[in-house]
Amino acid sequence: MKESMDQKLNHEFKPSLTDNVLLLKEILSNCDDIVFREFVFHEKINEIKGICIYTEGLVNTLEVNEILDLLIYRGKELLATVPSVNLDINLADKVKSEILSKHNIKLLTKVEFAIEGVLSGDSIFILDCTDKVFLASTRGWNERSIEDPATEQVVRGPRDGFNESLRTNTALVRRRIRDPLFKIEAMKVGKKSKTDINIAYLDGTVKEGLVEEVKKRLNHIEIDGIIDSGYIEELIMDAPYSPFTTVLSTERPDKVASSILEGRVAVFVDNSPFVLIVPTYFWQFLQASDDYYTKYMSGTFFRIVRYIAFVISLTLSSIYVMLVSFHQEMIPTALALTIASGREVVPFPVLIEALLMEFSFELMREAGLRMPKPVGQAVSIVGSLIIGQAAVQAGVVSPFMVIIVAVTGISSFAIPNYAGSFSIRLIRFPLLIASGTLGLLGFATMFSLLAIHALTIRSFGEPYLAPATPFVPSDQKDSLVRMPWWKMERQPQLAEGVEDRVGENQRPSPPRAGGTSANSSDQDNSSNN
Amino acid sequence: MYPKFLLLACIFSFMMTGCVGKVEIDDLALVMAVGLDKGENGAIKVTTQIVRPADARGQTGAPAGQTGDPIWSATAEGDTIFEAIRNLATFSSRRVFWAHNYAIVINEDLAREGIADIIDFFSRNQQLRMRTWVLVTPDSASEVVSTLTGLEVIPGEAVDKLFRYTTISAKSPSTQMLDLQSAYLSDTSQPVLARVQLIKRGVSNKKPGQAGAYEQVDLAGAGVFRKDKLVGILKPEEVRGLLPFIEHVESGVVVLSCPGDAEKKMSIEIKNQSFHVEPSIRDGTPAFATSLVVYGSVVEAGCPFTLSDKKDVKKIEKEMEEKLKEEIELVVKKAQEEYKSDFLELGKVFQNRYPSESREIGNWEDVFPSTLVEVNANVTINDSSILYKPTKSGG
Amino acid sequence: MKVQITNGMFMALLINMVYAKAIGLTQGSMAREVGNDIWISTIFSTFQGILMIYLLVLIIRRLPNHDVFQHSEILAGKIFGKMVCLLVFIFFLGAFGTIMATFVYHIKDFFLPDAPILLVVVVPFILGVYAIHYGIEVIARMALVGVFSILSLNLLILLGSLSELDIRELLPVFEFGVGRTIWASRHHNTDWAMAFMMAAIILPIVKQQEKWGRAGVAGIVYGGLFIVLWPILEVGVLSAEVTAQYIVSCMQMARSAEIGYFIHRYEMIMIAFFAISILTQVMMTFLCASISIQRLFSLKDYRPVIIPVCLVLTGYSYWFVFDHQRAIKIIETYWVALSMGIAIGLLLLLYILGFIFKKKVKANNKKHPSFR
Repeated sequence: MKESMDQKLNHEFKPSLTDNVLLLKEILSNCDDIVFREFVFHEKINEIKGICIYTEGLVNTLEVNEILDLLIYRGKELLATVPSVNLDINLADKVKSEILSKHNIKLLTKVEFAIEGVLSGDSIFILDCTDKVFLASTRGWNERSIEDPATEQVVRGPRDGFNESLRTNTALVRRRIRDPLFKIEAMKVGKKSKTDINIAYLDGTVKEGLVEEVKKRLNHIEIDGIIDSGYIEELIMDAPYSPFTTVLSTERPDKVASSILEGRVAVFVDNSPFVLIVPTYFWQFLQASDDYYTKYMSGTFFRIVRYIAFVISLTLSSIYVMLVSFHQEMIPTALALTIASGREVVPFPVLIEALLMEFSFELMREAGLRMPKPVGQAVSIVGSLIIGQAAVQAGVVSPFMVIIVAVTGISSFAIPNYAGSFSIRLIRFPLLIASGTLGLLGFATMFSLLAIHALTIRSFGEPYLAPATPFVPSDQKDSLVRMPWWKMERQPQLAEGVEDRVGENQRPSPPRAGGTSANSSDQDNSSNN
Repeated sequence: MYPKFLLLACIFSFMMTGCVGKVEIDDLALVMAVGLDKGENGAIKVTTQIVRPADARGQTGAPAGQTGDPIWSATAEGDTIFEAIRNLATFSSRRVFWAHNYAIVINEDLAREGIADIIDFFSRNQQLRMRTWVLVTPDSASEVVSTLTGLEVIPGEAVDKLFRYTTISAKSPSTQMLDLQSAYLSDTSQPVLARVQLIKRGVSNKKPGQAGAYEQVDLAGAGVFRKDKLVGILKPEEVRGLLPFIEHVESGVVVLSCPGDAEKKMSIEIKNQSFHVEPSIRDGTPAFATSLVVYGSVVEAGCPFTLSDKKDVKKIEKEMEEKLKEEIELVVKKAQEEYKSDFLELGKVFQNRYPSESREIGNWEDVFPSTLVEVNANVTINDSSILYKPTKSGG
Repeated sequence: MKVQITNGMFMALLINMVYAKAIGLTQGSMAREVGNDIWISTIFSTFQGILMIYLLVLIIRRLPNHDVFQHSEILAGKIFGKMVCLLVFIFFLGAFGTIMATFVYHIKDFFLPDAPILLVVVVPFILGVYAIHYGIEVIARMALVGVFSILSLNLLILLGSLSELDIRELLPVFEFGVGRTIWASRHHNTDWAMAFMMAAIILPIVKQQEKWGRAGVAGIVYGGLFIVLWPILEVGVLSAEVTAQYIVSCMQMARSAEIGYFIHRYEMIMIAFFAISILTQVMMTFLCASISIQRLFSLKDYRPVIIPVCLVLTGYSYWFVFDHQRAIKIIETYWVALSMGIAIGLLLLLYILGFIFKKKVKANNKKHPSFR
């Protein structure tokens, strides 16, 4: 009877090389990218043969060759020192510690792990006469170099972005937090994909129970494969029916590092340049990394600009529709005449006009995104010409509507996080329809409904709208405004630790007549520490 | 269950209601000014100045363009204002919309009969705003409303701007619905309204010889009310005496004769005017002492005049004081003797200071004509604009 | 875990609970009685409010883990407890009528004159049911948003009306005598009564018992400050006569507000802020009424009774707001008597009962030692 795959994987390795090879070849049948390379470990004494298995393309062939060289040439030396021909179980340990000490080797006994290792880019070396197998970490495939994060650009700040390799990504963060308390725990998710997932956090700063909660949710996932971190995001988020995103995804290592320092947990997923950060506050979607790297005044200013952009992109089109179709008395007279004269020839009600324009705007955005790059520009030119110019001249839409939609669109692009801007774009439509059908009543009610909905959401136990409501006075230093670093003495409320974030008397000042300068006082502080 | 139920409820309610009271802005007839005249047989005639947006604002690219007048004036009659307005709807293709109304023009004949229902109607209707200008006119209100002005595209807007900047001319008070209503409701004060007139002022560009070729709306004093009835008018030159009482006036121009030569004139611009009314009780009756403190600036002198000549300055100051005092006294006299109407808000000043006494003296209307009003003026001329030496021919 | 709210949220709830009607309808009612002394009446009423909230905190502190219903049950038996539940429900039924009158007369009369009243009544119903399903914490957080919008609203009206403000108008103080001015403050006291009754129900779930008094008083003082701005502006800008003339006089002032020459006609922004505050008040009233019914039938949770209770309240409010004249008359006469009777009567009764049955209180405190 044929064994099932699971049973085969459950086997342990046997001392006989041929048995093992047979089993492995059976398991990896029809896998043309798996390479079996035979070698002789020691031909003179006992004809110890060996075999090396790896997946082509996933390994660093140089490293494999090096290990093979070591096994073949140093094997003789090793066995020469062994007096008896009695090859016992110790052989594997000896080889590992004496010959292959240069390399990262694990000894395995189970077939399952060996297969997994081979398929994830490690190589295994099997020697005759021993039931242990060497798993060498020889991963080395072609990966995208570290580039500018395409979705989150900054003017001032680091330019490196995550790529598709898990290790590279964790390394990028580790380079920013060189503390033993910075922990990276590994796990695997996905029955078929067996995707590597790393959970990173700062021990002692992260809130109690948070890491456990993240692990619990990750362990609960049962899925065949994880292709991108988006899968994980959707499977662990708190409010699955909500348009709001409760998990922040970012391409920027600096953002991940600073989040971890604030006591959040980052989830790295292999093959995805997007790292997930939990718990997330809504306002984080409106905060860009630039805010922290430029001077605090400009940081605050840009942040407020972005908050205004958020309000505009959420409400402007609804307010316009509401004003023009219900509350005409609210428009200043001169403006009312201008709007009315523009609408004179438009055949649609304002709501339909607005929906039409919003739709064509989304269409243009989507088309520009999907088209191959050289064609994409043509699309946007044609689109803007048709929508901006021709539609107005033909009297299909009013010029003022075009302005409204354009301003709304530009504002939504000012929101630094793509997922965030998308959820705001989504909740704009119910608001638009409500204010187009019920006027102010609809607008106020739908706005309150959305507000209540957002208030009920929690992201991994944290209120989604914190620190605005519930109001956390100490966190206001980094919410609407960005206070200078020397002012942000305490950790945010989210963080567990009692340590201060910034030392005392950090405000720099020019040297006074007495001769004490900012630098000297800093040194005093550090020496005290 | 709850979220789903609520979602359903929301969708249902939106579907059911559809578009409640929804009128697009281009389906509205935006009224820019309204005129009220006496109609036939005791009816009231309402004239509306309705804007035609496409012509008022030439829209680039829009097919409708400058093909006609920026406004369309229409008139309708009815026994009440509301009925008249409803009658407008019988021929207006768009819904008449009042919220952008700039001005309410009331014909003086109508105002003499009483404006109580006008005040009520325009303060009861939620579309109308309290910042609307209210004016009286001796001409037909419908003519005033349908007169195109030279500078502004929409005549209503022109009236609005006229009042925004009346402070320069000081020929009319600027009275809003808010002032009218609170004066009318008040126990003591009486309303006073701005007055306009159609006067041939415009000079035709095509035939420059004919000065005063077409009529323009002109500020022409103020209409004085007792209760809701118009009882008299103040001429434009009398209004300057009225303004300090009801508005915060800071500037104005006084024309005086030169100190040396009575034939020649000079103009003094009033700057930093401050006005104060001090109520008191003398022998059981209310009395008021008004004091006007004015700083003047010489803006035009028909004769050589310099501030360094202290004697001349004193003389001019004295003359100006007399003149200002006269103006105020004239208005007070008119209010007390001719119209017996306290549109100067003196009663309010007294009541605010002496609340219990004001109840004791009885009906303010009866007391007001006999109250004593003292007028003081203090003028200092301290500025000669940008000139230092007098302008006189050399040699 | 027991749901708890902070003292800050409690303050925010107090402010929201009193604000909307106080600036909307109350000023007109008071102006009809005392003319331009309405601002003094408002201040008087605020002082009375401070006294009452302090009394309330004293009462609830005796048995800090029990709300007003459980208090009365422990003190004077089950039947008395049920009666209190019914009375409180009636109170909130009446209160909801006045709140909806404020809401409907603002929204419908000034913004959507063609909308059917039913619609304007049903929409808050949907919102309220949705919100109180999530419990007090969400409403409390909404109240923080409400306080923010109240602040913005006050700022906007202040900017828009300051240029027209005539301080002289405020001047004849006590024109109708001190007694009458104090007596007129009863209209505003009904607004505070809503805040007390709410506090009597939710105070036990407020954290940090020792801060209750301070939070309560601070809430009333802030609320009073936010409100007293309105009568002062109304008298100074509109004059008392005009204020008395209108049903919703604050709207009349908002409509005449202008910042400079160009920025006017912005009352809709103000009303949008106002709506957030009053919708919070609607939610809280729904919640309090539901809790009183829950206690009346001794249910474990108030969620099953939400829809029936809210339907009753909404139905009543529909009848109530249908006739402007009747609504204002009820608000100015019967409602004053009812709300003052229930709120003050109940508090005094409980206070006195607490002295009579001191032993019961002690015994109960021993049985359930305060776990805070």
